Order: sequence, then structure tokens, then C-alpha cells
Amino acid sequence: MNIVEVQHVTKNFSNHIALKDLSLTIPRGSIFGLLGPNGAGKTTLIRMLNQITVPDSGVILYQGRPLQREDIETVGYLPEERGLYKKMKISDQVIYLARLKGLPMDVATKRLQFWFKKFGIESWWNRKVTDLSKGMQQKIQFIVTIVHQPNLLIFDEPFSGFDPINAELLKNEIIELRNNGATIVLSTHNMNSVEEICDQIVLLNNGEKVLEGNLNEIKKQFRTHCYEIKVANALDVPFPDTFHVLSQYSENQDVIYKIKMDPSENPNQLLAWFVSKTSIIDYHEVIPSMNDIFIETITAQNVNRK
Amino acid sequence: MSKVPLIIAREYLARTKKKSFIITTILMPILMALLVILPVYISYKSEREVTIFVYDESDSYLNKFQNTDKMKFVYPSGDLALLQKQCIDGQCDVVLQILGGSQSNLGNLYFYHEPPISLQGNIEEQMDHIIFDKTLIDTFHIDLRKYNTIKQHSKSSLVSLQIDENGKAELSTMQLNRVVGIICGFLIYFFVYLYANQVLQSTMEEKTNRIAEIIISSVKPIQFMMGKIIGIALVGITQFLIQIVAVVLILFAVQMVTPAFFSENTLSQSELIATSPEMALADSGDAIFQNGDLMNSISAYYSFPFSTIIICFFFYFLFGYLMYAALFAGVGSATDTETDSQQLILPISIPLLLSLIVVLSTTNMQSEWVRWLSIIPFTSPVAMMFRLPSGVPVWELTVSMVLLLVFWILSLWFSAKVYRTGILMYGKKTTWKELWKWFKTN
Repeated sequence: MNIVEVQHVTKNFSNHIALKDLSLTIPRGSIFGLLGPNGAGKTTLIRMLNQITVPDSGVILYQGRPLQREDIETVGYLPEERGLYKKMKISDQVIYLARLKGLPMDVATKRLQFWFKKFGIESWWNRKVTDLSKGMQQKIQFIVTIVHQPNLLIFDEPFSGFDPINAELLKNEIIELRNNGATIVLSTHNMNSVEEICDQIVLLNNGEKVLEGNLNEIKKQFRTHCYEIKVANALDVPFPDTFHVLSQYSENQDVIYKIKMDPSENPNQLLAWFVSKTSIIDYHEVIPSMNDIFIETITAQNVNRK
Repeated sequence: MSKVPLIIAREYLARTKKKSFIITTILMPILMALLVILPVYISYKSEREVTIFVYDESDSYLNKFQNTDKMKFVYPSGDLALLQKQCIDGQCDVVLQILGGSQSNLGNLYFYHEPPISLQGNIEEQMDHIIFDKTLIDTFHIDLRKYNTIKQHSKSSLVSLQIDENGKAELSTMQLNRVVGIICGFLIYFFVYLYANQVLQSTMEEKTNRIAEIIISSVKPIQFMMGKIIGIALVGITQFLIQIVAVVLILFAVQMVTPAFFSENTLSQSELIATSPEMALADSGDAIFQNGDLMNSISAYYSFPFSTIIICFFFYFLFGYLMYAALFAGVGSATDTETDSQQLILPISIPLLLSLIVVLSTTNMQSEWVRWLSIIPFTSPVAMMFRLPSGVPVWELTVSMVLLLVFWILSLWFSAKVYRTGILMYGKKTTWKELWKWFKTN
């Protein structure tokens, strides 16, 4: 079942079109990558999910029915530009924001204690935001986003400002939230993190959807049938016609071949041929990275427009 | 449950819990009171008795000067140089030398330490009287007692009485009206601007530190805006009440500490404010008695419409603030920088300033100008409070109040629309044209 269904949504601003007849679905329990270059309309869509703005036309279904005001309490939002009251006590601040999301005071306090303990930051309870480093503020902001246990979590560039250790911590938290049943919308330019944690993605460009689906399936769509095979020594025999050698280079004593096969051929033939000639050290299909897919798709689309 | 109370509570507590709030709230009236009381007190304390040695070359002044609690005249023998020496030794404060012959109205004051600044004038005044009396007797041969009788009988005095439709005459409180009007008008201006400006600053701060986006993903922008405006209004009312209590306590304390000084001081103040109708009554009781309405007149003075003024003060303070705060919040949401916001605020705050200037400069509280300003919503809070003590027809007051309410709703509606768009707009310089466009979109 889909937690969100966006149906033919259009949004105009005074001088440009932010979203153009956009339709997409976010499956429940997925980590959904919302990708696209700057100005593609990601933030506009996110703000609609948060009911900060409304579509000019089209509907957004949430849990099967049109988005309603009360739904706001089941959505958590971490905006790209982080913001907290600088001079307010951190605990007061998080409890206040949680209460705005509908949590009673005592529940909010208890949850906050839990998260402070989990992150090992109990000593921050009475401190102010101005006393914290940027990374520390990000942690607080993360707690603000999740403390009311939302069904739908929207993270806009969650990893920016985190060091690798804390980024890893955050990534694991996101996966755990998903495993506990939440749906996560992840808007980011960091394609590595998309590959690591996203199940589904949509790629927007100029307010339109250019790509949507399961991450692995999309990658399969973009497969080039290239294989990298590492063998013990260079071969001086001719290759079969179905093998197109793209490159060949040595690494220490080993030699690495990059070979493109015709789509109709079975990659097993490649292995069988090499096995008969030499000893194989490593073998894998060269799968395009999300980064490559992003650049290729957007560039092609922008060229077509011109 | 509505979340507005939560926002109100945060806005209120965030301000009142700060140490600076308590300090400024308590300190401001103390400083203001000191500013008024201290100079009076110091000049009162520093005026000691001055001993004056009179060296009179004309022989017309011997024993004619009258001693007061501030001046003591002594007529020692000896030449000027000796008296000056004694002055330096501290036997007197001032040596008054009066020239002889036809120049008996001229003289010099010698002193070693500077005497109070009023001394010269006080001595001159006494000299004038002495010369005047001497001239009457010596030159015109007029009996001094006869002259004083004539003078007393030819003293005139007027009492201002306001008549109503029933022909009932009441003592006018013109002076008091004007002073109360100016104080009320100024307080309204000060508080409306002060607190509306806090709404502006705080809205801008929330916008620039981006907490606004988080909050409006939980509550509607209008709720956020209203919560803030109401929260700050409550801060204002709290501060105001604390200050009233503080002022009363301070005055009470001052009275306890220096009763003599204080009673004297208040007397002179009440003289200033009201030209004391009681005194006018005492002087010219006859005139009023002929009207046969003395008791009525006295009670009229005490029935000054204080309760009306207090109720209207709160009404105009509250709704004047609410209207301006809404507009200021709209502007605050639309701008990221201080300079931009000041440019947009200027046209809104000019009416408020204009009404204050009119109030401070006009002497006729019933002029057409003041009347119109007291009805137009942007100027009415200040102008109406200025007019109110001297009497305003009920229908004009009603129209003014209703218009203010209507404009408050309108400004709220306008600002809510601007706010919704503005709070998420960054890095663009905003103009009124832009605001209008935001207002018109959905």
C-alpha cells in the first residue's frame, strides 16, 4: 500500500512553474529518495506534504484519502535549513515543538529523555543552542523531527554538517525507523547515501518526473552489460567477436579487462572462456552508479529541451 | 486541542523569564521617577540660607530688606574692603554693595563661593519694591497704606465654567484635560510602537534562523502569528501593571523617607497641573456664589471621567497594538534584513508618529484636525486618547472604536496572507508591490 499518492499536482509561483502535472507514489515502509537538481521542485513537494503550501491543482492522498490538517501530527520534517531558537533551553525547545505536534507534555518529556540517553547527550538538557556545535545542533534537530513518532518522515539533506561517524549513526537510525514501520522521504544530493539506504527513488527535473521506481530495477534499466574481470596474466590470444574489450590495464602482476557484451549474450560465456585460458581473481558486472544515472538522465533531458 | 495557547505561553515565558525583562521592567519606572524627582530634590536640598552683608552707600535700604528662609540680611559697619575680607573668612556669603545718590537702584554682588543662581533675582525683586515704595512716599507723597488698600481692591480673578444643555455650569478642567490627554496619547504611542516592534523583531528572527519553517509544519501560519501577537500583548500588559505598582511603591517610599520635601513638592505640582480650582474658588467664592451652584461645581471637579479614560486607554492600547502588530508581523515575515524592514515599516508607522506630533503641538483639543485623526484607525489610538478627557460625543467614540476593530481584522487578514508566503521567501528584497502580489495569490 502506498502512504502517499501525488496525483496530477501543479504549482505555479509568480514567475515560474514549480511542479507540472506531477504524479508519484511513495510505498509505505520504504526509504524513498526524492532526487533532482536544484530548482527541480523537491522543496515545493516537501512543503506540500507538510501542508505549508497547497497545490494549485491536483490532489495528494495520504493513507488513502486527501491530506487533512490533523495528518500534520503524523508527519515529521527536517528542513534543509535547520532552525532552532538560539536562546531557549534545548529540552524546553524540543518539548515545545513536540507539543505543537500534538504530544502531551509528560509523553514528550519521557521520549526526549529516552533520545538524550540513546545519543549520550543527557548533559545537554539545560543548555542552549548557542552552546552547541553545528553537528550537535543537527542531532537535536533530528530528535525534534522524530520525537512524535511520525508515520511519514521527511529528511531534506539530513547528512549535511555531520562528520562520518555521526552520519553513520544517523543512517542507522533512519534504517531503524524504517524497520519499525515508518516511511522515509529522503531528499538529498548525496548519491552515495541514496545507493546505501534508498529502496525507491523518483528523479525530478524542472517540476516534472523523469524517473521513478525501485532503485535496483532502475539500476538494471541503466545496465550497460559491462564486466570487469581480473586475471593472473595478460592473454595474447584473440577474444571472441561477442566480447568488446573497452580497456585493459595491469595492477601489480594482475591484469584487469573491462569487457562489454552484447545484451543478448549470457555473461557465463565470458567466465567460461576466461576459465579455460587463465586463473580468475575477480569478476563483477559494472553497474552504473546513481551518480552516473542522475547526470546522464538530467543532461539528456536538458539537451532535449534545447 | 488548539495549539495557539502553547505558542502564546512560549512567547510570554520566553520574554518574562529573562533576567533583562525583570530588570528593565522594574528599573525603567525607577529611572523615570529619579529623572523627575532627583533634580527637584537636589535643587531643594542645595538651597541653604544665604547671609548677605549690605553695604549701602545710599542709606535708603537700612533694615528694609525682608529676611526669608533663604536670605538673611545683615547691616554691619565697616568699609567695603573689610566686608569683602569677612566674606572670604566665611562670615557671610555675599556682600551687597548699593551705590549712592541717584544711582541707588544700582549695585554689585561680591562673593567668594558662588551663591545659588536665584539669589540675584530675589535681591533685585526686593530692591524694586523698596525703591517703588520710597518713590511713592518721597516723590508723590502717597500714603503707603492707602496704596496697598487700593491695590488689594483692584485685584481681578476669573473662573472657567463649562455649561451643559441643561444650563448647569461646571468648573472647567481644561488644563488637567490637556495634561491627561498628552500623557495618555504619549503612553499609547510609546507602548503600541514598543510592542509592535517586538513582534517585528521576533518574526524576523524566526524567519532568519529558520525555526519558522519547523513551526509552520505543525501549526497554521495564522495561528503562529496570532500566538506571537497575543503573547507579546500579555507581556506588555504584565510589564505595564508591574510598572504601575512599582511607581506607586516608589512614590510611597519617597513620601516615607522625606515627608516634608514631598508634600511641598506635590503641592507645587498640583498647582502646575490644575491651577488648583480650589484656590480659584477660595479667591473668588463670591463670583460662584452668585451662580448659586458652589457645591455642584466642586463635585464636578472631582467627577473627572477617570473610569471612561481608563477603559478607553486599555481599548485603544490593545486594539491599536493588535492592528499595528499584525502589520508589523506581515512586514517582519517579508524581510530578512533590518534595513529592508525599516523601509517597509516607515509608511505604516508615519500615521502613528503624525498623531503624536499633532497631540504635542496642538492647543485646541476640539479642532477639526484632531477630530478626524481620532476617527481614522491608524491615528485614532493616540488622537482619541488626547481628545477624550475634554469630552467626546458618544457616537464619535463609537465610530472610532468600531473602525479600529474593523481595521484590525483587515490588517490581520492582509498580514496573514503576506505572512504565509513571506516567511518562506529568502534573499529577495521585498517591496510593497511584491507584498500586494502575495496578498492576492490564493
